[in-house]
Amino acid sequence: MSAFAFAYPAILSALIVLPAIWWLLRLTPPRPKEEVFPPLAILATVLKRQETPAKSPWWLTLLRMLMATAIILAIADPVINPRTSTLSKAGPLALIVDNSWATPADWDRRTETARLLIEDAERADVPVSIVFTSEATHDAVPTSAAVAREKLAAARPRPLVPDRARAGEAMQQAFQGNRPGTLALLSDGIATGSDANMFKALSALSPADTRIITGNGAGAVALTAASNGADGMTVTGARLSTSGASNLQVNAVDQQGRVLATAPLSFAAGAGTATAEIKAPFEIRNDFARLTIEGQGNAGAVHLLDDGFKRRRVALLAGDTGNDMQPLLLPLYYIQRALQPYADLIEPRGADLSKTIPDILAANPSAIIMADIGRLPPESSRPLQDWIARGGVLIRFAGPRLAAAPADDPLVPVVLRRGERSFGGALSWSEPQKLSEFPKTGPFAGMPPATDVLVNRQVLAEPTPDLPDRTWASLSDGTPLVTTSEVKNGRIVLVHVTADTSWSNLPLSGTFVDMLRRLVQLSHAGGAQSADKAGEGGVSLAPYRLLTADGLLDANTSTAKPISIRNGETAIASNDHPPGLYGSEDGFAAVNLLPSGATLTPIDVSAAGFAVKQEAMAGAEAKSLRPALFIAALSLLLLDSLIVLFLHGAFSRTPRGARAVVTVLLALAALTYAVGPRPAEASDAKPGDEQLLERLDVTHLAYVITGEADVDKISEQGLEGLSQFLTFRTALEPGDPVGVDISKDELSLYPIIYWPISATAPMPSAAAIARIDAYMRNGGTVLFDTRDQFSAVDSGMPSPNGQRLQELLANIDIPPLEPVPQDHVLTRSFFLLSSFPGRYAGSPLWVESRQESQRQTGRMSSSGDGVTPIMITGNDFAGAWAIDPAGSPILPTVPPDETQREYAYRAGVNIMMYMLTGNYKSDQVHVPALLERLGQ
Amino acid sequence: MASIGQIVQQTPGNEVLARARQRAALVPDCMVEARRIANTVIAGWHGRRKRGIGENFWQFRPYTDGESLSRIDWRRSARDDHMYVRDREWEAAHTVWLWADMSPSMMYKSTLCSVSKESRALVIMLALAEVLARSGERIGCPGVMEPISARNAAERLAVAIMHAPPTEGLPDTGMIRGASDIVLIGDFLDDADRIMERISPLARRGLRGHVVEIADPAEESFPYSGRTEFTDPETGEKLVSGRAETIREDYQQAYLARRTSLGQSLRQMGWTFAFHRTDHLASEALVALHGYLSGNPPQIAGGGRS
Repeated sequence: MSAFAFAYPAILSALIVLPAIWWLLRLTPPRPKEEVFPPLAILATVLKRQETPAKSPWWLTLLRMLMATAIILAIADPVINPRTSTLSKAGPLALIVDNSWATPADWDRRTETARLLIEDAERADVPVSIVFTSEATHDAVPTSAAVAREKLAAARPRPLVPDRARAGEAMQQAFQGNRPGTLALLSDGIATGSDANMFKALSALSPADTRIITGNGAGAVALTAASNGADGMTVTGARLSTSGASNLQVNAVDQQGRVLATAPLSFAAGAGTATAEIKAPFEIRNDFARLTIEGQGNAGAVHLLDDGFKRRRVALLAGDTGNDMQPLLLPLYYIQRALQPYADLIEPRGADLSKTIPDILAANPSAIIMADIGRLPPESSRPLQDWIARGGVLIRFAGPRLAAAPADDPLVPVVLRRGERSFGGALSWSEPQKLSEFPKTGPFAGMPPATDVLVNRQVLAEPTPDLPDRTWASLSDGTPLVTTSEVKNGRIVLVHVTADTSWSNLPLSGTFVDMLRRLVQLSHAGGAQSADKAGEGGVSLAPYRLLTADGLLDANTSTAKPISIRNGETAIASNDHPPGLYGSEDGFAAVNLLPSGATLTPIDVSAAGFAVKQEAMAGAEAKSLRPALFIAALSLLLLDSLIVLFLHGAFSRTPRGARAVVTVLLALAALTYAVGPRPAEASDAKPGDEQLLERLDVTHLAYVITGEADVDKISEQGLEGLSQFLTFRTALEPGDPVGVDISKDELSLYPIIYWPISATAPMPSAAAIARIDAYMRNGGTVLFDTRDQFSAVDSGMPSPNGQRLQELLANIDIPPLEPVPQDHVLTRSFFLLSSFPGRYAGSPLWVESRQESQRQTGRMSSSGDGVTPIMITGNDFAGAWAIDPAGSPILPTVPPDETQREYAYRAGVNIMMYMLTGNYKSDQVHVPALLERLGQ
Repeated sequence: MASIGQIVQQTPGNEVLARARQRAALVPDCMVEARRIANTVIAGWHGRRKRGIGENFWQFRPYTDGESLSRIDWRRSARDDHMYVRDREWEAAHTVWLWADMSPSMMYKSTLCSVSKESRALVIMLALAEVLARSGERIGCPGVMEPISARNAAERLAVAIMHAPPTEGLPDTGMIRGASDIVLIGDFLDDADRIMERISPLARRGLRGHVVEIADPAEESFPYSGRTEFTDPETGEKLVSGRAETIREDYQQAYLARRTSLGQSLRQMGWTFAFHRTDHLASEALVALHGYLSGNPPQIAGGGRS
């Protein structure tokens, strides 16, 4: 990383003239004209302060020398990490490119680097072999540069851990003993378990020159695990670079992409892992669909949650329906109160178990709780057993009926002694028993000991060798209180006391709520699986939603194979099973990219065992110092001007003058603040109702305050221009344009929001983007303007503004887009238009694609009467619309053509009319038919 | 940009003399008006319109007792019974001292005019000498030449000046005696009070003075702009003005105020004051001086065109 070179070293010879510049500068500051002037005495009386011209002070000369040096160096263009284009011509170029989960952030630069290498190879006339480590198949046979370029263009980052060993072996096989010339590994910088094998395979190739090109993957952060605790969700994150502390934010997102909760993920300096605790009520945690790290658009920073975290459906059954007038005596009363906040309860009508049990099973509950039910009839018992075998959880409470039931009940986890045991009665020596501490294993592990619970009666289990393993809770004398047994995929749990207070005061304690919650948590949220899936080797789940490389869920599941997950196992993503959700809408399992407890470590180049050059990628890593030097020279120039002014006494005349200058500056600043578009924080002070009403009275055009003064100014002037045009031409008379702060202001007041994209503006927060998303869902429209029609044309890479737009939209559920088609309402909503130019004319205007099928599936974003929720252009509308107070245009169109400006205004009018009238104009085509139907 | 003003070499005497004669040819003879004539024995050429020593007839007047009998004009007395004495017109010469400042500041010449101040001063002085010599006055130059009355006085004065050591400021005036006129030609850029300090003793001694201030147009209009370093040719002192155009008005006021106060002080003493710019014709100054000397001051004082 210490490479340093000049792009134009010849310019450095200009440094020779520095002494000459020094000599020139040693002369006085701008040399005065010399004049003989006899009446000097008179002049002296006028010219109060006599100035003795002296040579400029040495430090001023030094400053100017520095300025000259900086300019010369800047012209010579020093570059840190220049790209070396020396390619070994000994053999083919072998490229191993990581397209793993960590690469989306620098994918463009990565392909650019690879493309440059391929170009070098083309120039050197050597074949190219290119493989991508995350692909399923590798074709490493050296081909022409053109084919390699095609492969490169086709490659996309994949949400997988790279399998470098396979890539290395493919390379080894393809070369068949031939030596490659240059071998370049474009790594993501993260070590994998297969690195050693890859290096072994590569060293067998013995390339003439090996390079490892690492991107800025040092910022890679991933979420590795999440676990649901009693009052919060614990998220574990890992990062690659351990230098310095870093504070990230974990967002918990629901299925619609709304952020439900956030928590800070703080890595201490030197630590590679960190945990975040998302505190949220249980009900809200049920809705968590995935966890993401704010600002990281890749698959590693997303942790998918499956229905292990979801709300359960629980059916309640009681042997004794009891009397509704005395609810406290009902056996299910305490269970209902305990579970209502955490689960959906199903309570059958009627007491006929042979009818209610099929009803319950038809509802496919996650768990069934039976309070004091003895032996079930076989016709009821069998479907229940099937249900348990398919993954149901049966929780039973003891009671007089159960105590009286025969011992060979298949729905009881342990063998019970007939009858119950009672403590502390009048004829008993023993005291009522307390609960002992919960064992370390089992679902109750970690719960505080229940010191306030006293058990008076219980049913007793026959002692068997495996009884301690099946016991989840016991009394202080060691007799089990909660026992369990697994039945195929399901489970039966027995609590040895009643669900009401007749046998113990357990139902009155908080421990009861916790125990029930944890027991219910054991069940599958989707209920038991259907019978055909319940095989011995676990269930086979078809892919349902897959994670894209950008960390979003996608319905395209064509690349994945069904996964079979054994009960209690966590599946690991692989090539066949990319990370995502497997199953169906009713129930799915999450397959995450990284296994729980994974850590990220930098790739160990020293393990290669052969000489390896390390390089940085093309693009920003090759950092030109030219701008910095020019800025330094400019600052020195300013400083020099100030010094010269100071030396000539510009500031020392009168202190009053200085004060006046300061006053004027302050006044100017205040004026700027007053005139400039202000973030609406001041106006949004409570109560802001007057302002809302004011905004509602008249339609206002709105633009997003990007935070860049010049962009905002043009936006305001542009919308002002459009407003005037609208007032002049149409019945719409909009009010003054309004700048909105998308993180604070009420957005629903505006039919359309103009958003000029600027790559240099601060990135809006996730919350602000979520607000925009909500605005679009609710029928609003955002007109994104990247204003880069020309910069986007030249290079294949998206422009900075385009990239920023991609980042903005990454977290918004946008519909499919298309350029405005010929028959779109936009082309005739007021004027008849065929194109939508702004300052530039080339970029199409992208709107929501009008596929009827999309409409019917009820896309969230197309609620506004068929009006597109999003428009994207690169034509810089506001620039064309912008007028100054005198009404004359500010910026020239490109090409300079006033007709184009007129058409830009017309495009604006059409867009506004489209916003306000929807597809009304498209109905106009039916006017003849309507008139005919009306009989006219 | 080339500088506006420059210091030029002293003008050669013969050239100045030639130019002075051209100027003098344009001016009629000048008879110095002498209110208080020095009773010198040196005869002049022009009558004083009063009786005295001379060659031309002035008047007959009755003989009074005690007069020398030899003065009786017998031819006139024979006509009647009275005795007449023949008076002659007094033809005494008046002494006019001429002095021109030759200090380095006078060597100044700007691009707005064609000659230096010194050159113009010498031309005026010599032309005046020529005119006065033609009228038979005695011409002297303090510190340089004793007063002489000769036809070629201008030429001799030019030679004397050429050979005289350079002087600074006003000359030693000890040699000036009696009632005579003095003409001072210079730029008088010093403080008005200082100049008056040196001139007022002369006035107290009864000298009648005529002061001509020679100014370069550049000194008066101050056509400088931008950052300019001004040098005093006499002291070598330097002064830098960051933006010369900003002080133009102030300077002009100060310059004109000095001239006004000098002129006022001189007039209070009974002297005359005229100023002359080198971009105007030397004749203007000459005519003005001619007027002052002959007691007919011009309507418009000075060399101004307006």
